[in-house]
Amino acid sequence: MILRLAFRNIINNGWRSLINVVVISIVLIIMVWMQAMYYSWIRLAEIQQSEWEYGEGMLRVRAYDPYDAFSFEDSYAPVPGELKPGIESGEVVPVLLAPASIYPQGRMMGAIVKGMPQQQNILSFPSHRLESGSSDLTPVVIGQAMAKSSRLEAGDVFTIRIRDISGAYNAIDAIVDTVLFIPAPTADVGTVWLNLAELQRIRGAEDMASYFVFDDGKYRSFSNQDFRYIDRDEYFADLYQMLANERFQQVLMYALLVFLAMIAVFDTQALAVFKRRREIGTLAALGFTKGRIALLFTLEGTLYTMFAFILTPILGFPLFWYFASIGFRIPKGYDDFAIQGMTDTIRFTYPMHEIAIVFLIILAFTAIVSWLPTRRIARLNPVDALRGKVN
Amino acid sequence: MKKLFSLIMLMPLLVCAQNITADEIVRAVDRNMITRTSKANVRMTVHSRRASRTMEMISYSQGNDEAFSEYLSPPREKGTKMLKLGDDLWIYDPGTDRSIQISGNMLKQSVMGSDLSYEDMMEETHLLENYQAELKGEIKYDGRECWIIELKAKSSGVSYFKRKAYIDKERYVALYEEWYAKSGKLLKTIKASEVKRVSNRWYPTKMVFKDELKQGKGTEYIIDSIEIDLTLPAHIFSKAMLKK
Repeated sequence: MILRLAFRNIINNGWRSLINVVVISIVLIIMVWMQAMYYSWIRLAEIQQSEWEYGEGMLRVRAYDPYDAFSFEDSYAPVPGELKPGIESGEVVPVLLAPASIYPQGRMMGAIVKGMPQQQNILSFPSHRLESGSSDLTPVVIGQAMAKSSRLEAGDVFTIRIRDISGAYNAIDAIVDTVLFIPAPTADVGTVWLNLAELQRIRGAEDMASYFVFDDGKYRSFSNQDFRYIDRDEYFADLYQMLANERFQQVLMYALLVFLAMIAVFDTQALAVFKRRREIGTLAALGFTKGRIALLFTLEGTLYTMFAFILTPILGFPLFWYFASIGFRIPKGYDDFAIQGMTDTIRFTYPMHEIAIVFLIILAFTAIVSWLPTRRIARLNPVDALRGKVN
Repeated sequence: MKKLFSLIMLMPLLVCAQNITADEIVRAVDRNMITRTSKANVRMTVHSRRASRTMEMISYSQGNDEAFSEYLSPPREKGTKMLKLGDDLWIYDPGTDRSIQISGNMLKQSVMGSDLSYEDMMEETHLLENYQAELKGEIKYDGRECWIIELKAKSSGVSYFKRKAYIDKERYVALYEEWYAKSGKLLKTIKASEVKRVSNRWYPTKMVFKDELKQGKGTEYIIDSIEIDLTLPAHIFSKAMLKK
């Protein structure tokens, strides 16, 4: 009965109710949009990094620290015998990396050269392009970001100078076979890809690798003195850390939006308690306890949010649809920052469980904010109320 | 008659020069180039594709392992100091008032945009310790009679697998050098265009270093004045000097 009464009161409130519902709905649309953006960004980054670099697991040489360029020179170790059957069967992809200097058009720049077997099916990388032909030039593949920074194009010839593992300089002439769109920045920025056997030869590191990529978690427990397993949490640690920082800003934004919406609800409720004091008195005279009257007002406030839940998908549909189908891409120029997951168009997916939590939180806040002004009712004398007096 | 007399007088030297071995030549070059201590005022002009830039510095060295240099100009580089102690290299940047150790991949970078890398500066100069020398012939280079010496690395850890040098027969100074990668690709050339008598030895005072993989006209290295085998205070080759 209270629910029916509350529903009728909201409808009778007319424009005032509609404004509240629309305000809450707009707040919810923004919150859902932000939630979907962060969720889709991280999901895309995870997919891209897995497809292009991590696979379903990675075994990395202990000396290698991707954040310490000084460690690259010593980032190699013999391929463990236990992995060789996996390499032959295609379950394991060995990758060797080395710091190098490249000379595109006679300019010197630092680069990381990575060697990958020309036959592998775990990563999306078209490694068959690394097959050496009859020419003396070593074919290499680079990503678009690398092409941009080095001003190299497909067909360009340049020299790669590298130190072998004993410290002597070696140099080869290479030809850019393909410039690829590589969505994983760590496999693109500053990186030149060439055939593993060729890199092992010029580096004097036969049968050595820097890391291995797997297509499942079979080698999760593998560890030896040279290599250790890198789980997803460790591999994506920087991405998750970046997300955590963004989340903090997101929470601040949420708090501001919710605060604004709740002010609207609180204001409406406070005004309602004042304007409807005769009604409160009548209800009390009819036998409504103060608690039930407070419940009625709280329900009315909460119903705004319930209506907003219904209105949100209707109002937000064009926006939600646009970002789900057309997507969001960071403006040109900003993609130079090479942030994981932001190299490609982010098409939004809407995480229903996270959105449901957001809705519940908003519901709880609305209930509290709707209840706060009704505390006056507890102090109300029904006779005074009938006379139109509120303390 | 005078000519004949001169020829008779020079005969023993010429005979000696004919029989000299590659090792003896390289040893003589090492003797010329390696100093106990030195202090030099140097100008380094980097000729890049677009412009040229000259830097002046004062350099001190003690044996092969210790070297200290301070940039005097241009204003942007003034106060920059470099210290080499054995296998370690530090750079002091006056702008940030910080010293950083150059190691790993940074050693591959060029020194102040020149054709020399930090690694080149760290190179061991005792040629015979690292290379097997072979006398490949003779050549007239820059108007002077030279031996062609080929140096091949004795061990795998030497930076440049092969070097070729034209050694001035009279002054035992390399007038031209080629440094090669393991693959046989020419990486660097060094041309000495001016050789002066310093104390009791010949010393190249004007050289052009050229990274052959890079475009540009190379880096000129001019020694305006040099003192050799002088007494240097020990504190010059200490990290404390970087911030002084």
